[in-house]
Amino acid sequence: MSEPKRAAPRVALFVTCLVDAMRPRVGFAALALLEAAGCRVEIPRGQTCCGQPALHAGDRDGGAALAKRTIALFEPYDAVVIPSGSCAKTVCVEYPEMFPAGSEWRARAEALAAKTFELLTYLADVRRWRPEGVALRGKATYHDSCAGLRELGVKRQPRALLAGVAGLEVVEMEGAETCCGFGGTFAVEYAAISNAIVTEKTASIDATGAELLLGGDLGCLMNMAGRLHREGSRVRAFHVAEVLAGMGEGPAIGEEE
Amino acid sequence: MSARDAIFAAIGADAHPAATAAALLARVPGLRPDRVGNDAVESFLARLTGPSVAATAARVASLAEVPAAVRDYLRVRGLGPRIALQPAAALRALDWAGLETHGGIAVDEAASVCLAAYAVAETGSLVFRSGADMPVLFAFLPMHHIVVVEAAGVVAWLEDCAAREAGRPAPRNLILVTGPSGTTDIEGVLVRGAHGPGHLHVILAGAGAGVAESS
Amino acid sequence: MTAAFTARTEQAIGDRTLKLAIDRTTGTARAKRAAAVADWPGFEQARELGRDIKDHVIAHLGHYLAEFERNAIASGAKVHWARTAEEACDITIRLCRSAGARSVTRAKSMLGEEIGLPHALAAAGIERVETDLAEHVVQLAGDRPSHIVWPALHKTREQVREMFAREHADPGPLDSVEAMVGSARRQLRMKFMAADVGISGANFLVADSGAVCTVTNEGNAELTTTPPRVHIVTAGIEKLVPSMAHATVLLRLLVRSATGAELTQYTTFHCGPKRPGDADGPDEFHIVLVDNGRTRMLREGLAEMLRCLRCGACLNHCVVYRQIGGHAYGGTYPGPMGAVLTPLLDGLPATQDLPRACTLNGQCAEVCPVKIPLPKLLRGWRDRSWREGLPPRTEVFGIGVWRFVAARPALYRLATRLALRSMRLFARGGWIRSMPFARGWTAHRDFPGPARRSFMEQIRGRGR
Repeated sequence: MSEPKRAAPRVALFVTCLVDAMRPRVGFAALALLEAAGCRVEIPRGQTCCGQPALHAGDRDGGAALAKRTIALFEPYDAVVIPSGSCAKTVCVEYPEMFPAGSEWRARAEALAAKTFELLTYLADVRRWRPEGVALRGKATYHDSCAGLRELGVKRQPRALLAGVAGLEVVEMEGAETCCGFGGTFAVEYAAISNAIVTEKTASIDATGAELLLGGDLGCLMNMAGRLHREGSRVRAFHVAEVLAGMGEGPAIGEEE
Repeated sequence: MSARDAIFAAIGADAHPAATAAALLARVPGLRPDRVGNDAVESFLARLTGPSVAATAARVASLAEVPAAVRDYLRVRGLGPRIALQPAAALRALDWAGLETHGGIAVDEAASVCLAAYAVAETGSLVFRSGADMPVLFAFLPMHHIVVVEAAGVVAWLEDCAAREAGRPAPRNLILVTGPSGTTDIEGVLVRGAHGPGHLHVILAGAGAGVAESS
Repeated sequence: MTAAFTARTEQAIGDRTLKLAIDRTTGTARAKRAAAVADWPGFEQARELGRDIKDHVIAHLGHYLAEFERNAIASGAKVHWARTAEEACDITIRLCRSAGARSVTRAKSMLGEEIGLPHALAAAGIERVETDLAEHVVQLAGDRPSHIVWPALHKTREQVREMFAREHADPGPLDSVEAMVGSARRQLRMKFMAADVGISGANFLVADSGAVCTVTNEGNAELTTTPPRVHIVTAGIEKLVPSMAHATVLLRLLVRSATGAELTQYTTFHCGPKRPGDADGPDEFHIVLVDNGRTRMLREGLAEMLRCLRCGACLNHCVVYRQIGGHAYGGTYPGPMGAVLTPLLDGLPATQDLPRACTLNGQCAEVCPVKIPLPKLLRGWRDRSWREGLPPRTEVFGIGVWRFVAARPALYRLATRLALRSMRLFARGGWIRSMPFARGWTAHRDFPGPARRSFMEQIRGRGR
């Protein structure tokens, strides 16, 4: 049975390597949200990682090799949705730049980039989906992760979606747009600097009096949650998708299932 | 190969770009901050005395009234009736009775009186052209810099200043003074009078309606 | 990362006084810039014009250099050319010597720092008097600048007070920042008048007049360049603008981005030596035009960096700079712009940490008044590091293995399962407090324990 494409787009969910390994709940939340937003969701089995670690290390060949296989894997779909601004930016911004203008791979990368979306942007702007009947009592603060914010314009969408969650109060932290100090391998290689940065971030999170820290990128959330936990803070961290999918009552990042 | 030749060789040849340089400037009028209203003189005074430039200003009907305004300023500030007077004919021609004027400038000069060539409304800037009648140090050594500018000489934008200067012989120094000297070099704290004048007072002469103090 | 960089950053991070000093100045700078930008709705489009003007000049550098040289000579200036820092210093020292200079005043110029002019003057036995207040502080401390706009940003008022009390002839009570500035004013006043040569940099070189533009808030540039018999300008060849009208566009952007003001207090165009009959000004005016890697930047993919106006906004907004300050970068230029320039100036092998010690968060590019894509340029250096085999062998090996595995989904699933299983061995109550291969992380942060089974494994079990 085939539905008209307009009514139900065939959407590939690219969960990202970090969600796959560290927090599958975000993947299930994304899946549920996309289905609620009227998509036919598929999870291509061959997916691994977008290649960002190689690209950021300077390994262009390694990055290009992973980009090519990711492009080939996802190009058959109507749309590709990724629950991470950082990984979506790799596909949308960096893949096309990796190949010479006019080349076949450039064209394929650009075509994929044009139909690849960060999850919250896709839900809010493309599907015009709004949460209905979702409730979570509490006070939350939202961190704008850098790649999504500056490269993809993810700013108003998560806030608009969270505004539809009954009982949830969202308060802005000082410096919500300031980097949390994650930066992938930076957090391990330049750990002392990374820690100094995230310590300022957790201070401004704590200062809001929020019980929940929300964000759209698991890497940043793990960094902030890890520092909050080390400091003994009671703030609990979730991906926005989990809250929107009604999974905000479950275990937060770092809590046992 | 000389250093000059080596640098030019490394850059490579290029085409004459006059048309594109002009085209860039054609975009400027839409890309300026909204700082100049219908009355350029009023805009100038507003900028000049606003918190950013932080100068003081007085208005007089004509140059003839400038010496009285200078005396008022010195009295209010508790300064002695002595000024270093810039050797500009238009200033020298005024009646400085009641003030001791001298034509040199001391390193610890309390106050100088200068005549700006013109002023820029957009930024509240005073423009000086160095020369025989405008020693540069008159604008930098005194603690109080008193500047006379004629209202008719207020131009709207920095580009008007550039246009005025284009095509006439350049002075050794073209100086735009936009407020008293200041520094934020110690912990970002703003302090006036770092090396140059700690106070900038403008006497705007002519045109305009009132003769009242504007600040 | 290299041991030297680790040592510098750890020392900086451990210095709470330094952090306080950085926060005070950069905090004020960020707030003032934000207010200035908010006050000009067209700022964004103006940035594009600023970028286009600089790109135009860079594309026609030869034309504008020749035009500038011609007009500067016609105005009575002497123009000198230097390929390297050494040549630039040699020319400057020679000019000082032929002027019989014993004492030289200097108005802050980052190019002067870049070419090592302070050291060259000292080696030549010429007294150097730094006149910018911050550079004066840095000179008294025997220190190096730590910021391109506020070179003494790393010094607190308490440290400045102590130095001025010790070094100034007539310090007075020094009980406030105002009193400290007053003491420096008295101290430097006679130095200005007694100098034989004044050396400044250039914010812009105006091609159609041969004029050199300097901007200061203190007025020290004019006091440096007017009384001495000789004025020497040292300037990078990228400082050109076609005309004064083009300079005004860039001035609006530069000043707002640096300090949040609309124009510097003293914006001066120096054109030639003093004219016959002039009341003051130097008899000789020399302009030393310096390449020192700039033509290489054109060839090596760094042309966009030649737009840089040296406003310091990228430093003030950089999360890394704000933690480690300027000295930890180890070069003349710190912060994001320094992390792009220093590998060029000092060589990549010794400086490869600079482009890597960055989260690529993009805030520097967001605030740059001429839209330099700083993260892209930093990544260019990372690519080059990789090509040249500079990263640690463990990293190259690790990325290689990961690449191999990530291209093979079945192997990737297996590796993920094994990794999760071994990581879970370290988890206690959901969190990992210490874990090999991630000690950098767990030294400061807990690491969330991973899922029992990966998403892909679970979804397979659900038949999707």
